[in-house]
Amino acid sequence: MATATAEIRALAAILDELDYYRVLEVDVRAPVSEIRAAYHRAGRRFHPDGHRDLAPDLRPDLTRIAKRVTEAYSVLRDPRRRRVYDQQLTANAERVRMPLADASAEADRQSRERREGRTPNGRRYFMLAQADLARGDRVAAERNLRTALTFEPDNANFKELLAGLRGKR
Amino acid sequence: MASAIGIDLGTSNSCVAIARRGRVEVLANRWDEPITASVVHFAAGGEVAVGNQAKTQAIHDPDRTVTAAKRLMGRYFFSEEVKKAKAICSYKIVEGPNHSVRVKVGDQAYAVPEISALVLREMKEVAEQRLGHPVTQAVITVPAYFNDNQRQATRDAGRIAGLEVLRLLNEPTAAALAYGFGKGLTQRVAVYDLGGGTFDISILEIGSDVFEVLSTCGDTYLGGEDFDDRVIDLLAERFQAQHKVNLRKDRFALERLKAAAETAKKALSMDEAATIRIENVVQDAAGTPLHLEHTLSRSEFAALVGDLVQRTFKVCDEALQQANLTVRDLDGVILVGGPTRLPLVHDAVAQYFQREPKTDVDPDQVVAMGAAIHAAALVGEEQETHLLDVTPLSLRIGVAGGLAETIIERNTPVPIEQTSVFTTFKDFQQSVRIRVYQGESRRADENELLGEFEFSGFKNARRGEVRIEVTFEIDTDGIVNVTAREPETGQAASTRIHLSSGLSEDEIKSLIDRHQPSAPPVVPPLSAAAALVESVVERAEASAPPTATNEVADAASAGDASEEEAALQAMAAAEAEFDAADFERDPAPLDGPADAEFDLDLTTDVSGGSLDTPGGAGEIELDEADLDSLAALSADEVAGGPVGDEPAEGTTMRRSRSDDEMFGAPGSDLSIFGDAEDDEI
Repeated sequence: MATATAEIRALAAILDELDYYRVLEVDVRAPVSEIRAAYHRAGRRFHPDGHRDLAPDLRPDLTRIAKRVTEAYSVLRDPRRRRVYDQQLTANAERVRMPLADASAEADRQSRERREGRTPNGRRYFMLAQADLARGDRVAAERNLRTALTFEPDNANFKELLAGLRGKR
Repeated sequence: MASAIGIDLGTSNSCVAIARRGRVEVLANRWDEPITASVVHFAAGGEVAVGNQAKTQAIHDPDRTVTAAKRLMGRYFFSEEVKKAKAICSYKIVEGPNHSVRVKVGDQAYAVPEISALVLREMKEVAEQRLGHPVTQAVITVPAYFNDNQRQATRDAGRIAGLEVLRLLNEPTAAALAYGFGKGLTQRVAVYDLGGGTFDISILEIGSDVFEVLSTCGDTYLGGEDFDDRVIDLLAERFQAQHKVNLRKDRFALERLKAAAETAKKALSMDEAATIRIENVVQDAAGTPLHLEHTLSRSEFAALVGDLVQRTFKVCDEALQQANLTVRDLDGVILVGGPTRLPLVHDAVAQYFQREPKTDVDPDQVVAMGAAIHAAALVGEEQETHLLDVTPLSLRIGVAGGLAETIIERNTPVPIEQTSVFTTFKDFQQSVRIRVYQGESRRADENELLGEFEFSGFKNARRGEVRIEVTFEIDTDGIVNVTAREPETGQAASTRIHLSSGLSEDEIKSLIDRHQPSAPPVVPPLSAAAALVESVVERAEASAPPTATNEVADAASAGDASEEEAALQAMAAAEAEFDAADFERDPAPLDGPADAEFDLDLTTDVSGGSLDTPGGAGEIELDEADLDSLAALSADEVAGGPVGDEPAEGTTMRRSRSDDEMFGAPGSDLSIFGDAEDDEI
């Protein structure tokens, strides 16, 4: 099924304004299965293999669409990247694209922050507590964790660790 | 009407097929064999034979018979793979220009794609003979795990063979297509492809006419030929223990051993044991003929190759993990490749995947059939199927500290494009060089270097003020393109990543001519320097605006050796001023002040080191001259702390003193903005 020339032209013209959900024509709450199905639909319509007879001047447009489709899919199919992308989208609706490597790096950063703390001091005392634990000094670890929690009272990982230490005592 | 064919260009065997009128047909050669050995024999008289006939020559004429050339495709001469091949091949493997591999037969040196082209041409002729009309278009399959260098070499081979390569298709994807074509399936399958020289595993989701590859992993140096090698080792060791004669030292004996090992291996697909008997394999010191005899049982064979088979399942684990699946999520396993006929392999696969593998399509022919189906679809002769494939390897860029940063992760669907923003790292820097790698290591030198990319002619400004957008693209063939652009001036440069061990466009053209019947048989070899300057010219031309054409390109286009020399000097001179200034103010102590300038990209050093050979050719000199002012630096490496908008000065990584000595002059290059905002187009 070759996609109509006019459709390719029209889509290419507005491509840079579309967020990934619009590129794939899915709802922002769509589950991964729907995103995959949408990717398959888009593949049928825009994969460069499927348009052997396309006018040569339209080929760059088609390729551009195909690349954006895979980009959108690569972000939205990956829950970690998708979370980061959604945050970006909410914060700044104008920025509709996000490089894959950045989405991954940002997801890594966030998960690290959740684990090790998001403030410099929180991280510092968490690290000290880790070092204490490695040495087997539970008392010092507990003290450092409590200090870390004064900087980040809502850090679930800190709390959990502290509770664990207290339980063992 | 011209038809498009599908060719499975294998390490050991090749196969050609065509799809027409809803049927897929494997085209047999004139001996009615559906597969043809990927072996080329160059007779001393000049005749070239390809196929099984050539294979029999291996025993009589080992140094003029080229087998398993696919293992050398797109490889650097210094690579492990080539070293390994040199140890087991009885033909001569020599170094060509730019660290390329050449196969030497008599006094003629052949580029590896040239050997593969002879095999491809044979397959083309097989098809033409069966079809009764000329064939010009083909889909050629490659192992899914092939990197960009190997893919480009395969494309080049196709062109040299006189074929328009419609598409390079991954072998497992082709197999899945042949398996699922026209069946309207909705399934998740694994394709276990153990070929003569390579192993691939792909996990696909088939949704009627859409074939989506969820993940692919592989090992480009693991295949049936490695099984043979183990048998050869066993036989040679036994023989040595018994007769004190090393058969591996005798090329003729070795070839007979190889043939016997392969025959025995195949026999084990049917029988519990195979008897290997080679009469008069060699003579002892006294001239007495010695015979080799050994009975190889299935269990002995299993013990010999068991670890190789287990190695494939490590790769399968990885592929499943990448696809976020377990074996229970799969609906089927498709076997591809001759070695999967071995009961040992078949049973191990059944055990690993917890199900009986599908064997309804011939494992030697299924890949060519898939290629034929896609070829027909591409020329509009067959119903469309949509192959959504992935890139098997992460695409990386060299950054400071000998590291390589990921730009596009492996198993990302293709086609894809990603842009990163870089900036200069020195005041008034004039050019930047970017090294592009493929692989899974953070360390640059543990990845495959695809090529290097130079960009110059942007505005003269303080460091950090020049913004350079570098766009990395992977097309549907898995081939990499890189473009650099300075948004402010619109200055642009683009290049197909140029493999320094590959063939230049001119070389390919002369090879196409050489293999035309009317053309003169010998092509004067390009000098290494000429080849390199040509690549510079290509880049300059590709960068389009005439204003961008520099002296180097001008001089080089004249094609005169002395002018090339001048061009090289001009290129070096272009950066000389900057270098000199830099040299003065940067004594570069190793543990220098925190705000010391970053010197030179370590990736450059590492690769430069490995590429550089003692008494190396002139082109390396040029490289180093080029490199002088260059280094890539990522914000991650620059800024020790949280990633900021700008590289923090305090924590730049430095190259080691030995590198200083190695390159003479320090240089600097570019950095990546850490902020995602800067990566936006």
